[in-house]
Amino acid sequence: MGIHSVANACAHLQNASRARLGLTSLPNTKYNLMLALAMHRAGFLSSVTRGGPHPPPPEALLSYEEPEPVTNENVATRRIWVGLKYWDNQPVLKKVQAISKPSRLVTADFKELSRVTRGFPAGMLKGLSLGECLFLSTDRGVLEAREALEKKVGGLLLCRAS
Amino acid sequence: MSVARPAARSLFLRRLVSVAGATAASTITAPAPSRSAPPTTTCHQFHSSAKLAARRRSRFTNVRAVEMGLMNEEKVNEFTKETFPRYTPAEIAELRKVYSKEQLAAIQAGEAAIDAKDLTIQGRLRVDPYRMPYIDDFSHNLPVVDKRVKRNPPPNPDARFMNLDEFTQDMINWADKFRKGDVTGTLKKLQDFAPQEWRNKNEGQWPGDVRKKAQASFMAYLEAEAVKKPADVEAESHNGPTDADFLEYILERSSMTDKNQIGNSSLALALPHKVPGVAGKYKQAVDPEDHGLDDTGVYQELKKRTGMSVREILNLQNKVLVHRFVSNQTRMGKIASHSVLCIAGNGNGWLGIGEAKSTDNGIATQQAKIMAVRNMRPIRRYENRTIFGNVEEKVGAAVVRLYTRPPGFGLRVSHKIFEMCRAAGIQDLASKFVRSRNPMNTVKAAFNALVNQPDPEEIAIGRGKKFVDVRKVYYGGNVL
Repeated sequence: MGIHSVANACAHLQNASRARLGLTSLPNTKYNLMLALAMHRAGFLSSVTRGGPHPPPPEALLSYEEPEPVTNENVATRRIWVGLKYWDNQPVLKKVQAISKPSRLVTADFKELSRVTRGFPAGMLKGLSLGECLFLSTDRGVLEAREALEKKVGGLLLCRAS
Repeated sequence: MSVARPAARSLFLRRLVSVAGATAASTITAPAPSRSAPPTTTCHQFHSSAKLAARRRSRFTNVRAVEMGLMNEEKVNEFTKETFPRYTPAEIAELRKVYSKEQLAAIQAGEAAIDAKDLTIQGRLRVDPYRMPYIDDFSHNLPVVDKRVKRNPPPNPDARFMNLDEFTQDMINWADKFRKGDVTGTLKKLQDFAPQEWRNKNEGQWPGDVRKKAQASFMAYLEAEAVKKPADVEAESHNGPTDADFLEYILERSSMTDKNQIGNSSLALALPHKVPGVAGKYKQAVDPEDHGLDDTGVYQELKKRTGMSVREILNLQNKVLVHRFVSNQTRMGKIASHSVLCIAGNGNGWLGIGEAKSTDNGIATQQAKIMAVRNMRPIRRYENRTIFGNVEEKVGAAVVRLYTRPPGFGLRVSHKIFEMCRAAGIQDLASKFVRSRNPMNTVKAAFNALVNQPDPEEIAIGRGKKFVDVRKVYYGGNVL
């Protein structure tokens, strides 16, 4: 499973957030969906909805509706619609920076992760600063660094968000 | 030597040739004529430049001054008399009106000192580039060059404001100017109705019946006059002061005892530096709450703006962080100024920076301090010792990064940020200048960074999370 779509999604989310968009869409990939859900759990996104080429109606954003089944005909047009959050005239998601890229995958084990989460550097990885989150892909799905620490797993580092 | 040698040689050769010619001729014919004949050889020049064909003459013939009659004594005198005549008695009388006796004497002495003939022969209007920029015989006042003429005497230094009696008298004097004939003279007085023998005596000395009689007839006369007057009022109104006169009286009449003397300036007289009568008797209006800390009134406006007392303002920590000599290039030259950046802080979470510029260093510093106090902002501090999170700010090319640090870390920062931290009451901090280290921009960027720290509470609200500071949970909250 390539991570190029995740790296693109990170850049797109940061751009959309700086452009003060309320709702934006990502390509419908499993990785993007898991990252969006992890960000939603971390509080960066207000909603994550699977949908088609057009933005879903507002009521679909706040409640779960069975998405249209993906078929061979419509798979290319499926999108993940994410709601962006703003507080005090500032975007909640100010900065999203991809760590791994397809040509250079960066991983962190539990020990490194615990150091980084406490704000200390581990190898090339800088420590997390105030309000910063690190998303990584583990065998338990895409998790935030603190969630991964709870589960005592490491994995492939996707992005840092603040 | 190089020039003299060929010349000497040619002289020598010429001599030899003439001698040889003479000897040869004497052997063949009679020697007599050859001795006196000039030598036929060309004469060498004593300089190296090319020889002129003939003597150079001007192509233009000149006329001598004598031939023109310019050197003629009579003509010179005639010209002198016409051009520089002496003052006539009429002119002197005219001058006497304008100049004082001493000035006129000086003018006449000056006239006598210069011989008019010398002016004719030697006097020239200069045309060289270094001539004076104007020609002046001081008969006209050139406003650009000359000082303003003061036609009136200097103001009377002893003049004071008129009291009520003087003012009344002055007003009567003014009104008298417009009186046509004797207005009060037409009215009879009480004395006129008394018998002849009492007229020159005081009214109190008159016998009772005389006084009563005189008063009765005087009152009857006054009533008759009062009835008669209205008919004449209109005729008299033409003779009285006009509106312009009233306006002039109100606006231009001097209210001092200087007899309405007109000054040389339209401006009112300035008060002397120390007014003689009141010197030392008055004090400046300073707030008694200041306890004499601000007699010059420097901090009064600041006090109003900030709501702080003068003592609080003076207790703030000040430090000049950047001092630059700057200059403004004008057409008059360079105008050097002091540009000062100063910080002010209360050592307990408030910090401000102020900038000021002045040609005087003291003024610039004082103004910068005042501006720093005005610009004071609260600086958020974590546990009153360090900042929240890491901050990066950029001003110009100066990028300042501030890093939060644990207790006891100290201030491992540059000296300018050290002073800012001390004024703001920050004890643990690290900093890094990533790019430019321009003093002024780094200070400004550091101030911006201190002001724009991230707020964990706000971040938590934005993400919808509950926020707990674990340092306040562990150790029973016994951390600072």
